Order: sequence, then structure tokens, then C-alpha cells
Amino acid sequence: MKREAGWWLVLPACAVVGLTLLAPVLYTAALSFANYSLAGRGSTSWAGVSHYLGLLGDEEFRVSLVNTLVFAFVTVPAELVMGLALAVLIHRSFRGRGLVRLAVLFPWALPTALNAIMWRWMYNTDYGLFNAVLLQAGLIEQPVNWLGTIPTAMISMMIVAVWKTSSFMALLLLAGLQAIPEELYESGQIDGATGWAAFRRITLPLLRPSILVAVLLRGMDAFRAFELPMNLTGGGPINTTETLSLYAYKVLFQFVDFDYGSSVVMVQFLVLFGLSVLYIRALRAET
Amino acid sequence: MMAVVQAVRQRVPASVAARLRRRAPVWFYALAGAVALLSLFPTLWLFVTSIKPSAQIYAWPPVYLPLRPTLDNYRHLLQSADLVRYILNSVIVSGAATLGVLALGGLAAYSLARLRYRGRRAIMVGLLAVSMFPVMAIIPSLFLFFRHLGLINTYPGLILGHTALFLPMGIWILANYFKTIPVEMEEAARVDGCSPVRTLWSVILPLAVPGLVAAGLIVFIMSWNEFAMALVLLSKNELRTAVVGISLYPGEYAFPWETISAATFLSILPLLVLTFVFQRYIVGGLTAGATKM
Repeated sequence: MKREAGWWLVLPACAVVGLTLLAPVLYTAALSFANYSLAGRGSTSWAGVSHYLGLLGDEEFRVSLVNTLVFAFVTVPAELVMGLALAVLIHRSFRGRGLVRLAVLFPWALPTALNAIMWRWMYNTDYGLFNAVLLQAGLIEQPVNWLGTIPTAMISMMIVAVWKTSSFMALLLLAGLQAIPEELYESGQIDGATGWAAFRRITLPLLRPSILVAVLLRGMDAFRAFELPMNLTGGGPINTTETLSLYAYKVLFQFVDFDYGSSVVMVQFLVLFGLSVLYIRALRAET
Repeated sequence: MMAVVQAVRQRVPASVAARLRRRAPVWFYALAGAVALLSLFPTLWLFVTSIKPSAQIYAWPPVYLPLRPTLDNYRHLLQSADLVRYILNSVIVSGAATLGVLALGGLAAYSLARLRYRGRRAIMVGLLAVSMFPVMAIIPSLFLFFRHLGLINTYPGLILGHTALFLPMGIWILANYFKTIPVEMEEAARVDGCSPVRTLWSVILPLAVPGLVAAGLIVFIMSWNEFAMALVLLSKNELRTAVVGISLYPGEYAFPWETISAATFLSILPLLVLTFVFQRYIVGGLTAGATKM
């Protein structure tokens, strides 16, 4: 096929992505420097960096940024440890491995919003499973309001996130594990490196590129967390589980403040863009 | 005969044979079982809740195993037309977005995987970068554009949004798949006098079916699960997708767990079935999409 044909084949997809994803992001960037009200049609004026200056003095913005960072910096390492353990487990051949792999894949397929609702039911103060089991086991004397008190709400949210996403981490790491030649472990065995030593000396170093890619990918996801806080806690109690995305959503669609909201999401966008550059570099280095 | 046995023996690496001989200890099976149970547990508990009679849902101490399961909750649910509507909306949106991604993404991926031209690499990297955009940075402007075009609260609006949102991922998975199809197949077709379009349609397409299935399933599941864009672009109750509709079902004050649990279980059932049946395709496609460049 001729070379020009390549352009024609790729053009429709690029047009859809360009008009539906890229153009809106550019327009959002422009909005963040403008005065814009949804009511006054087209009456925009230049606002300079006033919205960004506004962010500096915005307590709720600061809180949501810190929450998001704390959320990402706790859940991603936890997911890495869990995911690595899961990957090593399902990498080994044993009878029934297919079923275990299936079970591990399943949390990935669950909609985050509905997963949040399922956990909300288990966390429920009066009828929830966790309180029931802990009370009956005598570990607590009073039902705990998991999602309604500080800091249990944030901790509870992190548990849900780690539960849900460790499986995806495991799948990414499993692909890396499968690329490690078995012979290395055999020669390691001859040198006396088995079990933990083999893991530390062979598995971890060779898995490093995959780990980097997986951590960056999950880090980006954690940094945009929206459905989970929205459906699990609504950002409460007193904004302690409010993430940047949730705050942006509130500003944009509940306060209908499009220009200020745009400056909130642009800050988020810039951080993510930096992370995605790192991710693409890591991908290139890996292959 | 002996020669054949010899050949087969040689083809099985000693390491694989050794791994097959080594049997996992009992504690290993216990651990694997515990992991599987933990992964499925929230869904299992949801299902158990959904088949309890209403009175047992709010009982103390909780009923861990309902001895008389009932389908009442499901019956109530199907009588209130909302949920049926939500699921239908999800089927329409996710189905159409999947077809959109496969059609546009298939052509683009073929071009990117096979044809050498300037800017090819830049397009691949650009698509990857775009797929990392936070959806919250896209939504406000997309909302304004679509409002201008009359696409808010229409199926085509969200279908277009989801198609664009999952195209980069779809193209990556498909491009990686196309690279595994031997070029010789195409060359042979060309020698036989097939036109390029004919080659693409009757030689490449049939060979690409596993890749298309993998990409299609992943896109379908991701579109089914997508929340933020669906929440903003379809705000009319009768247009809401299953995930959004159910998450807003509770209303302001009451949280009717008997219906919620049944509704939630019904709307994740298709995903359960899809992952169960197509596990291999999904795992292969996901890892190829996220870790290969």
C-alpha cells in the first residue's frame, strides 16, 4: 500500500481524538485565563492569571490537593507490594491457576463507582458487615462510623482503592515476570540463590522497568481519582476525602464556575502531563 | 516413532518439565484460595444481600447466609422501569462506542503498525499522551461545545465522547496485535492480485479477529464503567447509563439497600460474564496496551 494511504487511514481517528479530547483541553486552558459565565453567552474577557492567584488563597483547593497527594503516595506503594505478591502468586504454575487469575482480574472489571457503593454497604455503621464481624468477635465495643469520622474515612477509602487496583498492577507485573527467562533461576539455584534471595537478586532487578511503568500508570490514576470519593464519601467528613477531581467537579458543575474550575483542572493537567512524559520515557527505555 | 518422541522431548524445556513435576504445597493452595475469595468477596456479599428478604437486610445480628433466598428484590427492580432503562442506555452507548473504536481504531492501527511514513511515531506518542489527560480537564469545554452543538443529553454525544476517550487505548492494543501478523500473508495476497482494500478486508481482518475481540472487550468494559463523562453529558434521568443511574439512585435521604444491591449486581453481571468467558483476551490486550511501545 502506498505511503500516503497511511495518512488517510489514521486521519479519521486523529480527527475524532483531536476534536473531542485535544481541542477541549486547549479550550479549558484558555478558559482558565478568562472571565466566563455560563449565563452571559459569549461575554468573555481576559482575566490574566487572577484565577490561578485565587487558587493560592483557596483553602479547599489546598486541602484537596494535599488529600490527593496523600492518597496517591499511600495507595500506589501499597498496590505495588500487593500487586507484586499477587503477580508472583499467579505466575507460578499450579492446578486451578486459571480460576485464581480470573478472580484476580475481576476487581479490574468492576465499575469504580459501583464498587464504591458495594464497599459503602460493607462499611455501613448500623448494618455493615465489618462492624458486625468486629463486634461479634469482640474486637470493638461500639459500631465504628468508618466513612463518617476522621481519619477512618480516608483510610477506608484507601483500602477500597488498594483492593480494586492491586489486581491491575499484578497483571502489568505478571507480563514483566513472564519475560524473565527461567534459566536465570536455574543458574541462580546452582549458585545457591533460592526463594527470597532469588527474588531479590534476579526478579526485582529485572522487573524494575515494568515496576516503573506500572507505578507511573497507577500514580496517574490515583492523581485523577474521582468516582471513588464521589460515591464512597462524597468528599466528607469536612472535605477530608475530597480529591482534586472531586473539588474540580464541584466548582464546575455544582457552583457552575467554569473559568475558576478550569484553572483547578489545569493545575491537575500539568502535573499529569509531567507524569505522562515520564511514563512514555519509561516505556521507551523498557523496550 | 522413537524419533518423534525424541523430538517432542527435546522441545519441552527441562525447566518446564521440572515445574510441572514440582507440586505446590498445601499452604500455597490455601493462600491462592484466600486471594481468590478476597477478590470476589465484595461482589459475593452484594449478591447475598440482593437475595435476602427486606427484613433480613436490616437484621441484627446480620444473616450471613440467607436460608430462604428470594428474588423479590429483583422483581421490584424490574417493575420500576428506571433500571431497565439505565442498562439499555449502557448497552447502546458502550456498544456503539466499541464499534466506533474498532472501526476508526482498526484503520489507524493498521496504518501505524504496517505503513512507514513520516510522523507515524509522533502520532503514536501523541495518542498515548492524550490518553493520559485527566477527564476533568476535557469535560468543561466538551460540555460547552456539545451544548452549542445540541449534543448534551443525546446518545451520539456520549458515544462520540467515549469513542474518543478510548480510541488511543484501542489503537495501541490493535497496533501491537497487527505487528504480530506476518507481513508475508499480505504479500502473498498482493502477488495473487488482491487490491489493497480487498487485502485488508479478506486477509488481514480475519487474522486480526483475536486482537479486535480483545480491544473491543476492553473498550466495552471501560465504556460501561466510565462515570464522569456519562454523568455530565447525559443528565436526564431516562438517559443515564447504568453506573451513573445506580449511583444516583439513592436519592437525598433514603438508601434502599434491597433495591440498590440487586440493581448493582444486575449491572455488573454482564462484566462478570465477559471477564469470565474472555479472560485470556483481556489480559493479553491490557498488558500489551499498557506496557509495550
